[in-house]
Amino acid sequence: MGVFGAMGVLLLAVTWFQVVKADDLRSDPRNPRPALSERGKERGVIITADGTVVARSVQASDARSFDREYPQGELLAHTVGYTSFLFGESGLEAVYAEELRSRRDLTISDLLAAVLGRDLRPQGLEITIDPILQRAAYDALGENRGAVVAIDPRTGAILASVTKPSFDPASLLADDASTAWTTLLNDEGRPLIDRATQELYAPGSTFKTVVTATAIDTGLADPSTEFDDPAQLELPGSTATISNFSGQPCSDGATATLLQAFVRSCNTVFGDLAMQLGAEEIGITAEALGFNREIEYPWSLPEAVWRTDDLEDDLAALAQSGIGERDVRATPLHMALVASTIAGGGVTPQPFVVRRIFDSSGETLEETAPKEIGRAMSPETASVLAQMMERVVTEGTGRRAAVPEVRVAGKTGTATGPGGFPNSWFIGFAPVDAPTIAFAVLVEGSPVAGENATGGTVAAPIAALVIETWLAGEQ
Amino acid sequence: MTRRAEAATIVAASGLAAFGVVLVNLAREGGVDAQVGLTFLVFVIAFGGVHLAARAWAPNATSLLLPPVVALTAIGFLEVYRLDSGRAGLQRWWLLIGASLAAVTLALLSTHTTSILRRYRNLTLLISVVLLLLPNLPSDWAVPLEGLELNGSRLWVVFDLGFTEMRFQPAELAKLGLVIFVASYLADHQRALREAHRRVGPIRVPEPRQLIPLLIAWGASVLILIWQRDLGASLLLFAGFVLLLYAATGATGYLVAGWFLGVFAGVASFLAFDHVQRRVVAWLAPFEHYQDEGFQIAQGIFALGTGSLSGAGPGLGRPDLIPNAATDFVFAAVGEELGFAGTVAVIALYALVVAVGLGVAFRSRDTFRKLLAAGLTLVFAVQVLLIIGGILRLVPLTGITLPFMSYGGSALVGNMILLALLMRISHEEAV
Repeated sequence: MGVFGAMGVLLLAVTWFQVVKADDLRSDPRNPRPALSERGKERGVIITADGTVVARSVQASDARSFDREYPQGELLAHTVGYTSFLFGESGLEAVYAEELRSRRDLTISDLLAAVLGRDLRPQGLEITIDPILQRAAYDALGENRGAVVAIDPRTGAILASVTKPSFDPASLLADDASTAWTTLLNDEGRPLIDRATQELYAPGSTFKTVVTATAIDTGLADPSTEFDDPAQLELPGSTATISNFSGQPCSDGATATLLQAFVRSCNTVFGDLAMQLGAEEIGITAEALGFNREIEYPWSLPEAVWRTDDLEDDLAALAQSGIGERDVRATPLHMALVASTIAGGGVTPQPFVVRRIFDSSGETLEETAPKEIGRAMSPETASVLAQMMERVVTEGTGRRAAVPEVRVAGKTGTATGPGGFPNSWFIGFAPVDAPTIAFAVLVEGSPVAGENATGGTVAAPIAALVIETWLAGEQ
Repeated sequence: MTRRAEAATIVAASGLAAFGVVLVNLAREGGVDAQVGLTFLVFVIAFGGVHLAARAWAPNATSLLLPPVVALTAIGFLEVYRLDSGRAGLQRWWLLIGASLAAVTLALLSTHTTSILRRYRNLTLLISVVLLLLPNLPSDWAVPLEGLELNGSRLWVVFDLGFTEMRFQPAELAKLGLVIFVASYLADHQRALREAHRRVGPIRVPEPRQLIPLLIAWGASVLILIWQRDLGASLLLFAGFVLLLYAATGATGYLVAGWFLGVFAGVASFLAFDHVQRRVVAWLAPFEHYQDEGFQIAQGIFALGTGSLSGAGPGLGRPDLIPNAATDFVFAAVGEELGFAGTVAVIALYALVVAVGLGVAFRSRDTFRKLLAAGLTLVFAVQVLLIIGGILRLVPLTGITLPFMSYGGSALVGNMILLALLMRISHEEAV
């Protein structure tokens, strides 16, 4: 009978929605149910290594429901994220939603688990961020827009991940959060965007570390190799030229060594060097450092860009890309990884934010073991590059990153920024002989940073504060 | 199944409704309240009453119909209570009224037998047409009986009693009257309809003039669609009629002709009416029109998906996010809170009711009773298929209620009488 055939079709359709597509439908961002059902329930705590609480659930005054609190407010908004019944979840709150949620929700499977003696209370996260360092970097950025990412080069642990401007996640939890949300969405400073890990910028002269590493690693040059020293580099097949920041030749106008060019950040020499190395050689180093590939992180990262294929036939673009402009792009996190690789003897570490997951009694359930992405350069190359970077701080463009009685290595960068205001970069690590911190500082071009902002004047002093704070905390 | 087993399942299903209320109370953390006892009592009185009426006036009636109906009513009541406890209180009153009318139906037919329905079929038709037209009364005239337009459809009649007003959808009762008329008409003309065929090659084609009743039903459906903007009743009426015509004659030509007429009317109304266009857009692309037309269907789908296998549990899901859940989307609410287990159970229970109804029709020796049982069951089945199919995006969503489960007094009363009719037919045929 047709009627029963039709009933059978109903059964198939209901199977489709409730069994086959159930997970997709449940996690569809437009479906408010998961967030609504989590509302008011206990969620796991998120702490730092020193026990500072960055997210917790406290019993509400009616004693039946829980309120989520973010005691550090704006400081860790992008990393920790939020869980809002109106706007969904972000950051670690979203990625670890399953671990952080309470399992006491009366479903049959949960009741079974309880009978079997499983722990239904939410699990907690311990993150690698050092709250004191994070605070220092956050304050050091001041009114600027920008980001600071610090990594422990020995493990890949993220020590700081600062984005400015930020927002208070608590403002998205209240019943009247819609206005706060609209304000954040319309803010031209885009406070919801995590500049540290989600925004791609031209790395400017900080990318010269990658070109230098390639040159030394391939044997094409060493710090004393001499290059032509014109005031302007004519680019083949193009009317464009490359000149130095000062508009002058790098050294005496005849020849300049690679070391001189690196310390003074001479564009002419590096444009020349990039063309000599070729897009492919630089690409090999860049990719080992995390460019053009996905990097595992709690959330998906945009890929840092080095366009080997396009640059192979376009020497002018290759020269411009060799000084970190044109088509090269990286997030502050990527550039911190570059610094971390040099600090760590040439091995690129796998970055991680969550150190361990623990149960309600504090017992560790899962611990992150340090991993490597791969080797980007030989230990010798890394060591030579480190010494060159130290000279940048002792006598070159990065002198304002110097910290008394600490051997600091670094590289400045100044790149085209928004509205004619240059973006300022500083990447580096310290102490040079046994590095415990590597970092990237990015200050976005804006009237606050000024028209004449450079990596050396704007970003380097922030780096100095970061190093000082970290080393003071280590003792 | 014996009458005694029937009584036991009625008590068990009433307990199911009451237990559902307990679970909803617990989920709200408000403590178990008097609603539990009240619900149990009303269910036992209502369905126990129908059971006793059947013992008294239709002792040989099948005892397979009442149990699945009580279970469906209990599951539906649980979700209506969970969505709107105020309306659930009203629904209990409607359940008592519906059960009383079912008992009255059984009592009346025990003295006159169903043949009285056949005898007064023209009166039945007249009453049905008047009932169908009632919502088209002006909304603002002085008489206390007024038509009312709700959610874009003109289905309601308001009976203003001064201190309060009663609303009902007369189409729910007209539906029964029309089935009675058509079954009786077809019973009289069955032979003529069955034998009047021409052969065009291998295909049997009905005589053109035998298509006239089909065209009349089609015309009536189209008129309902235009005047009352009720896609659901229109489809239901037409589909029910075509199926009954087919059941009476066995001529597939009617199915084919009905299909083409239906598609033609569907396409024409899609082009002509924007309320039909909105329905179709919401059916084909609910997620692309999530903010407006598609919102209700999309929320229904989310409810089903989130419910997954075992559901959130009574009172623990969020079916209240679906607009008009208690009237239009009870099935999705069941899917969210009772899960795949619940929806499969509901579909199986409906299949059981339809199977028993068709079984009654097949075993009937009298043509009128056969066609009446088939007609009532088919209209019931089409209604279930249209609304559940609409929620599952198999057909466009229509404003039809889910029999015995949705909130709605007129529908519940109509379906209780339908139940009584089927039980009575099975009694008469069992003698």
